[in-house]
Amino acid sequence: MTTTPVSVDKPRFGVSARRTVTNIITYALLILFSLFVFVPLFYMISTSLKSEQQLFAWPIQWIPDPIMWQNYGDAFAALSSIAPGLTFWRILFNTLFITLLAMTAELIAVSVVAYGFARFRFPGRNILFIIMLATMMLPSIITLIPTFLIWRNLDLIDTFDPLTVRIWFGGGAWAIFFMRQYLLTIPREMEEAAIIDGANTFQVYSRIMLPLARPALLALGVLIFQGNWNNFEGPLIYLNTTLKFPLVVAMKFFQGSISNEAPKWHYMMAMSVVMAAPILVIFFLAQRYFIEGLTVGAVKG
Amino acid sequence: MIELSFWDAYGSTLLHWILVGAAIGLSMVLLNRALVAFGVKRETATGYALVLPWLLGLGIWILYPFARSLYLSFTQYNILQPAQWIGTDNYVKMFTGDKQFWLSLRLTILYSLFNVPLGTLGALGVALILNRDIKGIGVWRTIYYLPAVLPVVAVALLWRWMLSPSSGLINFLLSPIYAALDMEPLAWFTDPDLVLPSFVIMGMWGVFGANTIILLAGLKNVPRHLYDVADLDGANQGQKLRYVTIPMLSPTLFYVVITGIIASLQIFTQAFFIEIPRRAGTFLNVLIYREAFQFRHMGYASAIAWFQLILILLITLLVFKSSAAWVYYEGERR
Repeated sequence: MTTTPVSVDKPRFGVSARRTVTNIITYALLILFSLFVFVPLFYMISTSLKSEQQLFAWPIQWIPDPIMWQNYGDAFAALSSIAPGLTFWRILFNTLFITLLAMTAELIAVSVVAYGFARFRFPGRNILFIIMLATMMLPSIITLIPTFLIWRNLDLIDTFDPLTVRIWFGGGAWAIFFMRQYLLTIPREMEEAAIIDGANTFQVYSRIMLPLARPALLALGVLIFQGNWNNFEGPLIYLNTTLKFPLVVAMKFFQGSISNEAPKWHYMMAMSVVMAAPILVIFFLAQRYFIEGLTVGAVKG
Repeated sequence: MIELSFWDAYGSTLLHWILVGAAIGLSMVLLNRALVAFGVKRETATGYALVLPWLLGLGIWILYPFARSLYLSFTQYNILQPAQWIGTDNYVKMFTGDKQFWLSLRLTILYSLFNVPLGTLGALGVALILNRDIKGIGVWRTIYYLPAVLPVVAVALLWRWMLSPSSGLINFLLSPIYAALDMEPLAWFTDPDLVLPSFVIMGMWGVFGANTIILLAGLKNVPRHLYDVADLDGANQGQKLRYVTIPMLSPTLFYVVITGIIASLQIFTQAFFIEIPRRAGTFLNVLIYREAFQFRHMGYASAIAWFQLILILLITLLVFKSSAAWVYYEGERR
């Protein structure tokens, strides 16, 4: 028996009744929030399947009738019409070319540099690491103009070089930080055993560290892929030739080419769906890695 | 028809990409050998060699551009003629003679002022609900993260369309309210006075997203035993939130606030895909882009960029200073 007096002013529900009520409220809120997410998403897909007349129908038609599957083909035919010789496949290839080269370079560079920061002691290491963290806070726009001028002096404007080659130089500070945090959690015994067996640094890195760091590499790879796939500012500034446009810039160009009276929202939404699709697929396949990538640094400090 | 050979478009870049990658690898090996030859300890030599790519990048892509843009901000430079030193004229023009700058500064700051607190509180609310003992946590988490997975461009276009004044979804859903209040439908992005709320609403959609996941991970890290102790002391839900959850979560909240401020002061893509009336100004990054790459005012654009840097540093510093009062690091006071 407890000696605590029963409080009189509290409602006289049993504990379980009160729990049921809070549970109902909790799930009701969860469902309400999911609607906030799903209704716009559904509206995007539904718009992409409407005919031009149905777009402006009032009241709004939730389910298009008829369903215009051909919008997807038509949207990309319209997108291709912004330049002769531009096709959907060309745009896709441009996007993938930039994304894959940048991603490969960044994963290699980041893992090497992070390995250096995580495992080797050298004078100035901590100061350099702090400088690296500080660069994360710099707005990228501050270096944008001089960087553009460097590429202009190299006569490499309107090539994919600024978007891909430059990544070899260490990639993003955030990515290095993420990788270093992960490498620090890997025990040293395996490396030490390999070194005793006579492995050199490159062998330790490629045969021991990289395989052990696979989850972190996947997490980074997913986030870097997403970042490059969505990157708008870089291609906008560096690419002039329409045939070299990736998807985002082509979409902006298309948006600019259509008049305000006929905004072609069904085409814009179809393109948005196509652009979102690969990222969504990767997200569903590699969710764990997305979430891992987000939470490092925030929680562990 | 313009012919673009495969080589011009992709081959040359691919070659440069391979050559630069190989050159950096080679220079790492050479640096390592050279340092060892000069009698530096093996571990030290390898360490320097491994961070070399980043060190080179720091010099070429950060420090040098940093100094150059500071210099450019005091010049008039249109790329074609050499830069001409004009002292502080750019800064004077920015503060006294450029209405667009003030409008854009106001819009950008107000956007952050609303977006960061609302976004953080909203994400905290969702995370607290998700942290209860609910079934299918993985499914809910996936759903709420969806808006953050979508490309920014898709989100911007979607909201531009949903907030379309005459045929958008939002005005359709609000039409009973408009009828009841006997008012004109709101014009959202096309009404200079509603541009800010429209952007804030669009930004709030991302509440369900990265921040919720980050805060949820933070909540899961709060040691259980602290709640047990609070229970023993007879604390109610509100007190547990106030005295256990919030202090323990404060480092994570701090991270979310800082990254939120930095990101929201630099919003670009959304602002670029959504046309807004000139009278409403634009966002600072878009203004800088226009000045630099459309009008070729490289000097003036650099000045605005430097102003933006100082603004971000000052605000971040302020939040850092204030953090002593509200952020609790467990390890610190042991």
